[in-house]
Amino acid sequence: MMSGNFRSASVGWVVLVCLVPYRTLTSTDAAPICTNAQAGCHVLSLANLFDRVIQHSARMHGISNDLHSEFEQYFLPSKNQIGRVGRNCHTSTILTPNGKENAQRMAREELTEVILKLLVAWRDPLWHFHQNMAHHQHGFTTFSSDKALEMSDMVHELRKGVEKVAEKMQLLGMMSDSVSSQASSEALLPPDSAEWRLMKEYDLLYCFRRDSNKVQNYLKILQCRIVPEHGC
Amino acid sequence: MAASSPSWNLRLLLLISSLGGLVTPGSAFLSDWSRWTSSAPLEPHFTGCVSRDQETFRCWWSPGVFHNLSSPGALRVFYLKKESVNSEWKECPHYVYSNRECFFDTNDTSIWITYCMQLRSQNVTFYNEDDCFTVENIVRPDPPVSLNWTLLNMSPSGVSYDVMVKWKPPPNADIAMGWMRVEYEIQYREINGTHWEALEMQQHNQQTIFGLLIEKEYEVHIRCRMLGFSKFGEFSDSVFIQVSEVPSRETTYAFTIVVVFGIVGVLVLIMLIVVSQQHRFMMILLPPVPAPKIKGIDSEMLKNGKLDELNLILSGGGMGGLSTYAPDFYQDEPWVEFIEVDAEDADTGEKEDQQASDTQRLLGLPQPSSQGFSNTISFPDDDSGRASCYDPDLLEQDTLIPLATLRPGPPDDREASLSDVEAQKSEKKDMALAQTQNAGPQTWVNTDFYAQVSNVMPSGGVVLSPGQQLRSQEGASAMQEETQKKGKDSKAGDETEEKKQKEQQFELLVVDPDGSGYITESNAQQSSTPIISPIPGEGHQTLRPQPVEPKPAAAAAAAAEDNQSPYIVSDSPFTQFNAPVSDYTVVQEVDTQHSLLLNPPSRQSPPPCLPQHPLKSLPAMPVGYVTPDLLGNLSP
Repeated sequence: MMSGNFRSASVGWVVLVCLVPYRTLTSTDAAPICTNAQAGCHVLSLANLFDRVIQHSARMHGISNDLHSEFEQYFLPSKNQIGRVGRNCHTSTILTPNGKENAQRMAREELTEVILKLLVAWRDPLWHFHQNMAHHQHGFTTFSSDKALEMSDMVHELRKGVEKVAEKMQLLGMMSDSVSSQASSEALLPPDSAEWRLMKEYDLLYCFRRDSNKVQNYLKILQCRIVPEHGC
Repeated sequence: MAASSPSWNLRLLLLISSLGGLVTPGSAFLSDWSRWTSSAPLEPHFTGCVSRDQETFRCWWSPGVFHNLSSPGALRVFYLKKESVNSEWKECPHYVYSNRECFFDTNDTSIWITYCMQLRSQNVTFYNEDDCFTVENIVRPDPPVSLNWTLLNMSPSGVSYDVMVKWKPPPNADIAMGWMRVEYEIQYREINGTHWEALEMQQHNQQTIFGLLIEKEYEVHIRCRMLGFSKFGEFSDSVFIQVSEVPSRETTYAFTIVVVFGIVGVLVLIMLIVVSQQHRFMMILLPPVPAPKIKGIDSEMLKNGKLDELNLILSGGGMGGLSTYAPDFYQDEPWVEFIEVDAEDADTGEKEDQQASDTQRLLGLPQPSSQGFSNTISFPDDDSGRASCYDPDLLEQDTLIPLATLRPGPPDDREASLSDVEAQKSEKKDMALAQTQNAGPQTWVNTDFYAQVSNVMPSGGVVLSPGQQLRSQEGASAMQEETQKKGKDSKAGDETEEKKQKEQQFELLVVDPDGSGYITESNAQQSSTPIISPIPGEGHQTLRPQPVEPKPAAAAAAAAEDNQSPYIVSDSPFTQFNAPVSDYTVVQEVDTQHSLLLNPPSRQSPPPCLPQHPLKSLPAMPVGYVTPDLLGNLSP
């Protein structure tokens, strides 16, 4: 009895601990970001928000890398597909800075917008990817299916998190209000967004792996610029 | 070129690549496949492209077997950057011909963009689609720098130790800002070993190596790779770790010496004390082994025979507070001891019967020499009943002798003396008595000497717990029938014979404080003594005062022949012989007729002649304890 109770209690704690950072990132309808330290409001500093968001993006990239490696292992294309794939990513139409200096030269608003565009663009494809994996199996393990779901959720969460960061930055006056708000994020979708349906799953994973790496690096650059840290 | 040339060329290519300091085979571009596993490229090809900081990268090529193209400029490098649909091939921005290397600086390097490389000679283009890559996938970070180690701690045994290794991230990678996020891997091995032990990868700038052994030299190096990617950078220069055990040995020696000297000193001290015979110290150092003692009882008191004090204690009146009815108390008691002590007093017959069990003697059992049973406790004078009031065997009526009495079966002479009393009894008594008489000889069980008193009823009845062999039921009922008649000698003899065939039984004989000797339970009932009460439970027999009836000698003889248990189980309508009789019962007192009273009644007028008994001074006790001295006093 005791062990069962203890186990359930520990599971509950783990879940609680895991949910806490998610809640802070995703509670858009819940408590808004507090300003001026309103009473009863837990103020998250911008630095804290950035840390969470970057951790989140790192994890997302890790999962995408794992899935991509798994795909390579089991459905390994005999040849290097990169030449072909490079043309087929549906997010290729989004203009992104392709180097550190380019990213550093970009305005904060632009950079934030690029990040959001990328995240928005991947919401649907990843969801359908997970659906495909869950239903058709394709010989994937449950492990892969879980990762696909996690990835899909993470994109969603990360997008909300970045929106929160943008809000905070706008509140603090660090950024102008030109960044699209939550409602208008949908407008960021590339016009020909149906192209991703044609991509094969391997290509999709490759593209997402690349894009998640982009998001990660852009967030890092943004953080370094906005939140002064050692090394920046 | 003959057929041997391909293999020769292969070796040449290997040699060239190794001399050129190029990346090892299998690390080119995206995949880790060894390019040598596939068909060895004989034409000019790229051997690898690597970026160190994710901001620049280099590519190396080889002319293959086309030695005529090995001169600088014969081969030209072109790359395609797939930024847009209209991108075109451009030539390498910076050649390093000495290395056959093409270097792309930050202006020409774009991350997340596909590059494809091409070699062109004057009229031939050597292009492999596999040579396309994106820069972030070819990043191999430089090794960390400033690798050093410090001793963390030493194991208590001095055999192993832990080491903290620290380093700095590669300087040319913008790790601080976070443009590159790396994880480190430390590997170590013994100097002369071949297998590298790899520690878990982590992102901090320090790590602990556990469990290194002293007197062994270790080699440690480190490398790193980008998080989320698969290509490792090169290993750093090795650092050597060695810790000798000299300091620990010294401390061990010192400790050993101290301990040895300490022990020697203590031993010397002890010897001095022992030799000098200082009693006090001796007591401290070598305390005497405590003799076994009973709680609350002084062994000296036992030896001195201070029975009154002893009995006081045993009854619970003393501070010791022995539990009066604890059955355990009687277990394994050396009762035999007491029997032996008083054996000297039993002259007649007792001594003859050396083979008679001590138990029987204690009980006054009819010996094979057909002695009667006596009402005296144990000793033995069981040959003749004590008719005289002044029989020293008898105990005074007003004193209780705390002695478990083991009455043998049929009384002989005593019963004759009590015949008067018996006549007053009802037939039931006779039954019971005869029963006891008859059952006695046959109910003796050889194995158990004693019946144990497990409880004493408030009314005075004694509850005996069963002994080892319990088989009283059948015998009891059988006896009951047979004891219809008066316990006469002849009848007793018949019954005795019948009883012989019965199962062994236990019988408890209760001494009648009236002085009539023994009465059965039924007798006790009818005698309306207040002490008689129903006996509860199975497995217990209540002793009741019972008139002693004359027993036939035959019965006695029969009793002697059979394995007799030293108990007589009293039969009563409400008592079943369900369970065996317990081993002991306590003699409360001895009446004038030399009967052992197990249930002292309310004080009646003492018989005219009160037998003197040596235990006058004994207080009344439910549970008794008799020392050899006391027993000696008891017997005549």
